[in-house]
Amino acid sequence: MNWTTQVRTKVSEQLAWEKLLPSEQPIYVSSLVYSFGVLTLSSLVIVIVSGIIMASKGPLWYQSSVMGDYFRSVHFWSVQAFFFFMTMHLVGQFFMGSWREGRSFTWVLGALSFGVSVVTAFTGYLSRGDFFSQWNQVQSKDAFNGAGLDGFFNALNNGQIYGLHIAVLPAILILLVAWHLVAVRRMGVVPPYPAKMKKGGGR
Amino acid sequence: MKRFTRDSLRFPTKEFDLLKEGTISLVIVAVLVLVVAGIWGAPYRPAVTNEAVSKTMPVVIEQTALGDLNGSGSIASYGPPYNNGWHGNAGSIQSLYGFSPQTWWGIPYPVNTAQDDVIGPLTMLAQASGNQALSQAIHTYATASYTQQQSWDQNLQNALNHATVANGNVMVAPGQYGPVATMMQYELQLARSGLLSGALNHETNNGVYRYNVQNDLLFLQGQALHKIANQLDMSGEQWGINHDESAFPGPWWLTPYTFFYQIPPWNTSSAGDQAAAYTVGLLFFLLILVPFIPGLNKLPRALPVHRIIWRDWYNRLEKNRLCETCALRASCEKEFKDTRTPVASKNVTPNCYQQKEPAASVRSPLHA
Repeated sequence: MNWTTQVRTKVSEQLAWEKLLPSEQPIYVSSLVYSFGVLTLSSLVIVIVSGIIMASKGPLWYQSSVMGDYFRSVHFWSVQAFFFFMTMHLVGQFFMGSWREGRSFTWVLGALSFGVSVVTAFTGYLSRGDFFSQWNQVQSKDAFNGAGLDGFFNALNNGQIYGLHIAVLPAILILLVAWHLVAVRRMGVVPPYPAKMKKGGGR
Repeated sequence: MKRFTRDSLRFPTKEFDLLKEGTISLVIVAVLVLVVAGIWGAPYRPAVTNEAVSKTMPVVIEQTALGDLNGSGSIASYGPPYNNGWHGNAGSIQSLYGFSPQTWWGIPYPVNTAQDDVIGPLTMLAQASGNQALSQAIHTYATASYTQQQSWDQNLQNALNHATVANGNVMVAPGQYGPVATMMQYELQLARSGLLSGALNHETNNGVYRYNVQNDLLFLQGQALHKIANQLDMSGEQWGINHDESAFPGPWWLTPYTFFYQIPPWNTSSAGDQAAAYTVGLLFFLLILVPFIPGLNKLPRALPVHRIIWRDWYNRLEKNRLCETCALRASCEKEFKDTRTPVASKNVTPNCYQQKEPAASVRSPLHA
């Protein structure tokens, strides 16, 4: 068994370029709901770019300089946009039953992405370095401790929180989102629910 | 039997430009975010320091330090992961029917509040300043019996409830406080100088770096932060983390989580945090498993929302009477009844799929 040949064959079959970068879509793809996915992804790009700029300059910069304050604002609003569009995307996909016909795992990846995003955003709020961070650190410690996560996570350890926020969790999130996108493109968008049939054979 | 799947690429198609739509979307979001950020900025309320609290609420500093010294403070008797409680009595161990994973990891972040918050920092102050009176007070306290210590502590604790502030100093009525009154005065002075935070951070970081602010925050977390948070409507029963500074949207996506802190039994249970965390974890698990939960995975079909989302498609079927004119009518009808069995051989596509849409009806961007 040649692993390389197997992987190459499977990838070339399932991830053909016309699926990954389609220039045609089924005609039922005709609603604003289909925009929420790409708007979520666009927001995530802004979140990541502004986050990289903030991380490269460090916490003191984004807490105490005019330019740092602006990029912190960009990060803040892009996160708000990201969650808004992601929530709309999730709700829309629910009403479309988008897990149908072999797309269950796509939904699972999307839901996991949502969960990881929530945790990532929370560590971001704890990394803001202001009263809101302090307050939520001391408040959330009881939840983390009570849930039994105290062995892994100290909400009062800024080094751990910051590392999780700018490296570990984004890496997991980007991986999940990329996987989600490939799954969407591999299977194509879910077809509409069957039309209701009228008596006599018509709709 | 393998579940029948309809290949979305076998439906009538229209032209689509993935990269163009992605670029348009990115530009729209970028412009929106950059403008909004420029106009409104983002919330930021400077962090609270022990130094600031010592100047605005000096009594709170002494009460906190005394609670840490005599074991009445919440962290002094917290239990894992900080300690084993005060003299073995832990007050913050959460347990649901005996299930308490909080205790599984031992004491990974040890805190002895009497030593770490009071004796340690004051010893550093006494050494740094050569303060013999303070050194003697610490020695007297440390060598006294536990009963004697508690007596002094209790007397001062009662007195602090009626304390006044004069020139930034806490004034109490004369009483049997032993060395504790002196110790608390110096604790307040240390906080006022800004060095109490330095001493506390020194304890939780092994080197010169200051990654871990645990002891500094644990000192503040009681009365000091709660008083400020309550003024901002940010305590748990006020939907806490759910809202940011009043004019800005907060992390509203945590609403399902904070909701449980508003209703019984979560907001009345001594294990409320644990129960809320597990409840939200369970709900999230259900969200992940929606495709596999009988009933829930069929719900969207019963709801009319999908008919709005795909109204163009359903209108097209209606208008063109595709099923009625389809050469494979029987198959087509079965197809639209969502049968689980293939209706046509692999190489035959039902006519209703093969109808090509006129070019003029191709719709516009942002349909990814």
